[in-house]
Order: sequence, then C-alpha cells, then structure tokens
Amino acid sequence: MWRKLSYLFRRKRFNGELDDEIRFHLEMAAQERGEAAARREFGSVVRMREDTRSAWQVRWLVDLGSDLRYALRALRRNPGFAAAAIFSLALGIGANTTIFSLTMEFLFSQPSCRNPETLAHMEIGGNSHAHMPHYRFLRDAHIFEGLAGSFEEAESNWRFGNDTYRLHTMRVTENFFRVVGVPVAMGRPIEPGDGDVVVLSDRFWKARLASDPNIIGKALIIDGRPYRVSGVLPHNHRTVLGFGFSPDLYIPASRESDVVALIARLPEGMSFQAAHARLVAACKQLDKAYPNEWGPKYAWSNNVEVVPVAGLDRLKQLSMIPFTAFFGMLMIVVGLVLMIACVNVSSLLLARASARRQELAIRLAIGAGRGRIVRQLLAESLLLALLGTCAGLLLNIWLSGVMNRVQLPLPIPLQLLIQPDWRLLLYSTVVAAISALVAGLMPALKATREGVSAALKLTERQVGRWTLRNALVVGQLAVSVVLLTTGFLFVRNMTKSMTMSLGFDSQHTVWAHMRLVPEKYTATAQTQALAGSALSELRTLPGVEAASIASVVPLNNNDVQGSTIRTDLGSDDIGLGYHDNFVAPDYFRTMGIPLSGRDFLPSDRNGVPEVAILNENLAHRLFGNQNPVGHTFRYTETRISDPVTVIGVAKNSKYFTLGEENQFAMYWPYLQMDRPTVDLHFLVRAARPRDVLKEVAQTLGRLDTSAAVEVKPMRDAMGFAFLPSRVGAALLGSMGLLGLALASIGLYGVLAYSVARRTREIGLRVALGADRAAVLRMVARESFGLLAIGLAIGLGISIFATKPLAMFLVPELSPTDPATFLTVVAVLGTVAFAATLGPALRALRVDPMVALRYE
Amino acid sequence: MTPTPELLPGTLYLLILRTLARGPLHGYAIAKRIKESSDAALEIEEGSLYPALNRMLVKGWLTAEWGISDNNRKARFYNLTPAGKKQLEQETRDFDRLIEAIQLVMRTA
Repeated sequence: MWRKLSYLFRRKRFNGELDDEIRFHLEMAAQERGEAAARREFGSVVRMREDTRSAWQVRWLVDLGSDLRYALRALRRNPGFAAAAIFSLALGIGANTTIFSLTMEFLFSQPSCRNPETLAHMEIGGNSHAHMPHYRFLRDAHIFEGLAGSFEEAESNWRFGNDTYRLHTMRVTENFFRVVGVPVAMGRPIEPGDGDVVVLSDRFWKARLASDPNIIGKALIIDGRPYRVSGVLPHNHRTVLGFGFSPDLYIPASRESDVVALIARLPEGMSFQAAHARLVAACKQLDKAYPNEWGPKYAWSNNVEVVPVAGLDRLKQLSMIPFTAFFGMLMIVVGLVLMIACVNVSSLLLARASARRQELAIRLAIGAGRGRIVRQLLAESLLLALLGTCAGLLLNIWLSGVMNRVQLPLPIPLQLLIQPDWRLLLYSTVVAAISALVAGLMPALKATREGVSAALKLTERQVGRWTLRNALVVGQLAVSVVLLTTGFLFVRNMTKSMTMSLGFDSQHTVWAHMRLVPEKYTATAQTQALAGSALSELRTLPGVEAASIASVVPLNNNDVQGSTIRTDLGSDDIGLGYHDNFVAPDYFRTMGIPLSGRDFLPSDRNGVPEVAILNENLAHRLFGNQNPVGHTFRYTETRISDPVTVIGVAKNSKYFTLGEENQFAMYWPYLQMDRPTVDLHFLVRAARPRDVLKEVAQTLGRLDTSAAVEVKPMRDAMGFAFLPSRVGAALLGSMGLLGLALASIGLYGVLAYSVARRTREIGLRVALGADRAAVLRMVARESFGLLAIGLAIGLGISIFATKPLAMFLVPELSPTDPATFLTVVAVLGTVAFAATLGPALRALRVDPMVALRYE
Repeated sequence: MTPTPELLPGTLYLLILRTLARGPLHGYAIAKRIKESSDAALEIEEGSLYPALNRMLVKGWLTAEWGISDNNRKARFYNLTPAGKKQLEQETRDFDRLIEAIQLVMRTA
C-alpha cells in the first residue's frame, strides 16, 4: 500500500521514466527488426501506458477524487439545495457537538492533578467531612501514599481598599498540593510549614488584582490577617471536585475547628477495594482513640466509602444519577435533532435524485455500473456531510465560547472550560460519517433500483403510493413531535416554577448577607448582640416594613436534621427528618408566611423554656388533627430532652428545592441558637425592594467594616433554586425550537416538492373540468394523511418517552399534561398546513395548457 | 509466421520471475530472453510486459534501478527481491503440479 501511496507523490517523475523505458525498448527492437516492425509488435503505446499506470493506482481513491469533484460541481450548480442541506446538517451537528462538549466537560473532565486514576475521595462513618484530629490520626497511620483534606465550601473576607468582599475559598491541609499534585502557573503551591500563605485562582488574579505580575510575595488581608501570596493557578485549573466549580483562593486549613473531605493518593497498583479494606482497618483504630459521641451506631468504621475522583466510577455514585440522567437525555434529544437534519438532507437528496433521473438513466444506459452510480451519489452526500460538519464545528466553537462566558446566577463560582478536543473531533467525524450514510444511501439505492428502462421513461406517475419519501415525512413528523413535547415541557416547567407559589413572598423581600470574620466573633453572645443592633437599625430605615434574621434562607441554604420525637399526646417515638431554621421575631411577617398562634418574642431567649413553631405538615405528622399550639414534645434520640412548647403553626412553603413536596419544617427562636455562626442572613420587607438595597448595605457595613456585606432582592438570591428549570428550559427549549425549525424546512420542502410533481396531473384534472376546491381537497388529503399518521406515531412515543422526565419537573407539572400535547399538535399542524396550501394554490393557478406541456 | 501458442493465464509472472532469477535485466532483454530460451515458441506480447513488470513492482517481488545497457545506453534494470524469489519457488511448484495433472489426464482419459 505505501508503495502505491508514494506513487501519488511522484507521479510526474514516474511518467517520465516510463516514457524513457518505452523509448529504449522501441529503439532496441528497431535496431534488430526495423522501426516499423518494432512499432507493430509493440502495439498501442498509449494503451500500454494506461495499463501500467493503473497498476500503481489505488482505484477507488482516484474514483473518489473524481466523484467528489463531480459532486462539488453539482452542488455549485444548485446553491439553494446545497445551502438548505448544509444548513440543516450544520445546525444538527453543531448542536450535537456542543452538547457533547458540555457533557464531556461536566461528566468526564480530568481534574488538574497528577495521575487522577490513583486518587480517591474517602468517607468515614457516613460523613462527607472529617474533623482535624481524626484526619491527623488517619494521615499519621500512613496507610496510603498520602492523605490530604480539603473543605470546598469555605468563605473568607478579603479587605481591599475600603471594602470587604466575601470570597469563595478552598481550605486545604498543608500537604494537599503535594499529595494531589496540583500544578501552579506562577510561584509555588502551598507546602507544609508555610504558615499563612494563599494560592490564587487565575480568574481572581486577573479580575480582582488586574493580573499584577509581581503579586507573588505580596500580602492579602484575609479574615483580618495578612496572607502571603505564594502562587497563582493556571487558567485551565479544574478542581478535584469537578463540575466547573472554581473557588477564588486556596488557603491552609489551619483552624482546629476545620473539617475536611478526605482525599488519598493510593500507592501504585493498589486497588480501590484494597484501599477500602485498609481504611476500614484504620478506622477501627480511630474508633478506639476517638469514639464517636453519638454511640457505636455511628462508628467511624461503619459506612466507609472510597470513590475514584474521575472517570466512570465517579458517575456511579447515587448523587450523580440526576446529572448523568439529564445529560443522557440531552444526548438523546440532540441525537433526534440530528436525525431530523439527516432526514432533511435525505429527502432533499431524494427529491434531487428524482429530478436527475434522466441523467442517471443515461449513465446507466451507456454502461455505468449500479455500484458506481450509488458510489457517486454517496460521494455527494459525503461532501455535504463534510461541509455540514465543518460548518457545525465552527458553530460549536462559537457556542462553546458563549457558554464559557456565561455567568450563571449561583451562590458558588462555576467556570466551564469547554474546549474542542480529540474526542470531539472523533465524535463529529463519526456523526458525519453516519449522517452521510443515512442521508445518502437510501436515495442512492432508490434512484438506481428501477433499472434502465423504467428510469429512461420521462415521467413519474406513481401517485398516492406509500413511497420512501412519504415514510421520511412521517418519521420526521414523529421525531419532531417527541422533540417538541420534551422542549415544550421544559419551557412550561420554567414558567411554572417562576410563577408557582413558593409559600413565601419573594417579590417584596430583600436578602442581605453579612459574613463576619470568625476570629473576631468567638462567642455567640457577640454575634447575637451585633444582629440585635443591626435589626433595630434596619427597622428604622425609610421604606422598610419589617426586618428579621434567620439561620437559613429558603431556597438558598439548607439545614436538615433527623431525630426521633415524642409528643405529650402519649405517642410513640416518631423518627423523621425536617428543615431546621432559627428565626428572629417578625420572620413570618417579613417573609409573608401566614402564621397561626403567636410569633417568637424577644423574651424567647436562652435560659427560658424552649419554644418552637412547626409547619403544617409537621404539626399534622406529630399531633394529627389536634391544634398543637400549647402542646409539648421531647427529643428522645440520645436522651430524653426537656419539653419544647409549640407556640404556632406556619403555612407550608418551599424550603430548599422547587421540586420538593410535603416537607417537614421546624422554627426556633434566633436568640436560643447556641451554635456560633459568622453568616448572618438578614431579611427585609419593603414594598419596593430595589429602593432600599443601598441603605440596607450601608447600615450593615457601618456596623463592622471587616464584615463582607451583600444585598440583593430575594428573587435574585434564589438563582440556585431556579437554575435546574432554567438550564433545562434553555437547553431543551432551544433544542425543541431547532428541531421544529429543521422539521418545518424539511416538511415544507417535501410537501411542496410532491405537489409540484403533480402539477401536470392537476393541470389535466382542471383542463377536464375538475372543481378547483375538489382538487385542493385531494392535495390536502394526501398531506394531512401523512400529518395525521406522523402525529399519531409521535404522540404515542411521546406519552411513554416523557414519563421519566417527571424527575426533572416541579411536582405541579405532570409530563402527561394534555395541554403540552395539544400545543405541539397545533404548532405542527399549522406548519404542515402552510407547507401544503402554498404549493397547492400555486399549482391551481397554473394555466392548464402550460401544465399539460410541462416537461 | 507460425502462430505462437497462447500463454496459460498467470504464467507471464512465472516466466518473468524465472528469467530474472539469473540476474538483473532490462525490459527488452527479458522479452528477448523468453523468446530465445523457448526457441521462439513463446513470444510475450510486448504491450503487456511493462504493465506486468509494474504490477510486480507494486507487489514487491521486483526492484528497478537505472543502469547502463550492453550498448552503453541508459536502461531500467529489474532485479528479484527475496519476496520475488519465494514467489518464483511457489509458482514453479504450482505450475509443475498443474502440468503433471494435465498430463495425467491426457494419458489416462
């Protein structure tokens, strides 16, 4: 083979040599037998030269070359057809590759670290994080090559000029960079014994420090203390956590109160099972040294997990299933879009092949093989696929750029690093090859099946028969119904989640967050005092109707507790999980949550008997149909607690996600909170929230200049809760629209073509005196027959295909809601109607004489 | 001119390989040598000689290089490669078996 290939590159020289050789042969022969005899015996020089050359040629390659050249000429002759086909494929492949890139980035991106395949996340005692003494105990057991820890949800206050900003911080053990092997772009990573140092993310360094080239060694004031900048991460840094999570800084986890998620570097060749066994053994030692305060049921050696940081194994975790399912569904949806695009190209090619029957017939008649003609038609679709893929890849690069820049309204910083890579190239090549085959093979076979004599006949008289083209229309309709139903369902889901009742008033509330420097507020009393003076100042601001503070803001944070409870009705112990929230007086008024019974009072503080407010669900679960106000309950989990008096019942609302249903919730007085906290969530009620933002921020900022203050209307602060429905609606809604656009183009093209094909027949009927309306009905009957079959198949599939989508939808919306299906049917019906009516009217207007002479 | 017997299909390669087994030759000399050694009974069609030589080059049985002929002219000399020698042995064996078989049929039938 390589000999033949090398021939391709030195064809010229080869031909010269061959001529030399022939000349030499003829001269030698002429010397012996005379010139004429020599020439006669040698035969045709030209023929021999052809034969010799063909010995060297890769036949199909040369044929392919000429086929492609021919195809290019044919496409250039028909720019409208070429544009429609390439446009369809570009959209289909562009959408496909973009979703593919997105999926790859989300599910399979490699974290920035050395040998991710020997890194594993570890959980002990069912806890995602471990306390420092426990971490140190396991690290010093030396059961792995290295054991590091990180806390990814940390925050810190950065004092810059006269302002304090809250930063998203990764708190890591001092050996973290060494164990995980995270590369830095500038300076050096955090090393053991470094003290107060910080490694910056590229984004933070560029956006907040103006890419200061001399930043290494300078100090940043973080949580009131100077931290020396030791290094800057590269721009393409991906955290071990993945999902585009990108914190601003890495700083050492130096507090004894820190908790860290464990990450271990396994020795070369150690399996994850072996690592698990070793960790369990070490945890048994840990149980002896530090017994769990909750009792033996919660021993560290129970519920030990070892999970690889990357690859397929990570996706097998339970918590990953919704992500994987969502992306799986996306891939299916874009696959359907591509299918529609392919069918478009296929029917365009089919229509063209019919138009070119004569050309093909002539070629068949003068002896071209059927295989040869099929190959030539395939070359045409291959060329289309190639051009479509190139255009699609350009679209992909542009879309990825847009997606990388998009800033999602999230409480945590996400940064996607979608970039085209070899997997994408491979994927799009495969997609292009398949689409070329699908789009090309059927029309090519169809065009050559009928043989020479049938093909040479000029006209096509088959009418109303079940043709390949009709099958394509029906298939396309069915697929678009599925696609539209899915897309429309997600759009409805978004509007539903934006408009549905959350159970609290998000329109007239301001979310004000104040993060204190932990080192300055070591006692709960200090924080409570600050919160108290902040509230009394906030309540005096003009425009403010009410103000309160809560440990948890609904749809923002979450605090789920599990416990067993016994009521004074003499009930058994009831085990349940509920949302916990410590709230100050006026919380329910501020949030607009209806309350029966009494609100908390400033007198509900530490040292007086405990009181609580339940939500309706929990009240019903604990006390049945009795009014719980005035009744008491006790905790019975570890020991029997003092009785807690129920003073009120609050209406049910959404607590953490829009998708949740029938949640239990319990409210406690803020002044009875005994946990130290540095996150103060103030809530302010105002008729026009945007008007009071500035005053609220200034008021809070004046109280402590080292605190980081952020103030937003409640609606903006709930971005995280709305994210799934928004992302779903954006992605699937646009896919549905894309599918509809493609299917409309295809439908219109095919129906218009099939009506145009019957121009002669229509002319004949009109000439013979047929009623125009009757003709119109006849044409419409065919189109709407196809439409009805396509819709019926599509709806049938949709009803089953959308069932599993319920997991992505808010409970208020059912996937089988008939409104969705009706809308889809109406939209597609309108498109089909327009596609039929236009060409049919045009055909009717044609003068019968012209129509009869047609062709 | 006495009609020359038609070559059995596939024997052209065998004849060329056998002729080149004694050493490198140029195209004209190959044709001449075959004609002479068969007492002019076999005459290969010159028009098919060069395509055959080139196919054999592609198959790797031969190599070709430019040299000087007996009459001091530039000519292209063909030479057997080890693969070509192996092919010659193989084809010789096959050919012998074929001839034996044909003779057997001729004698007994």
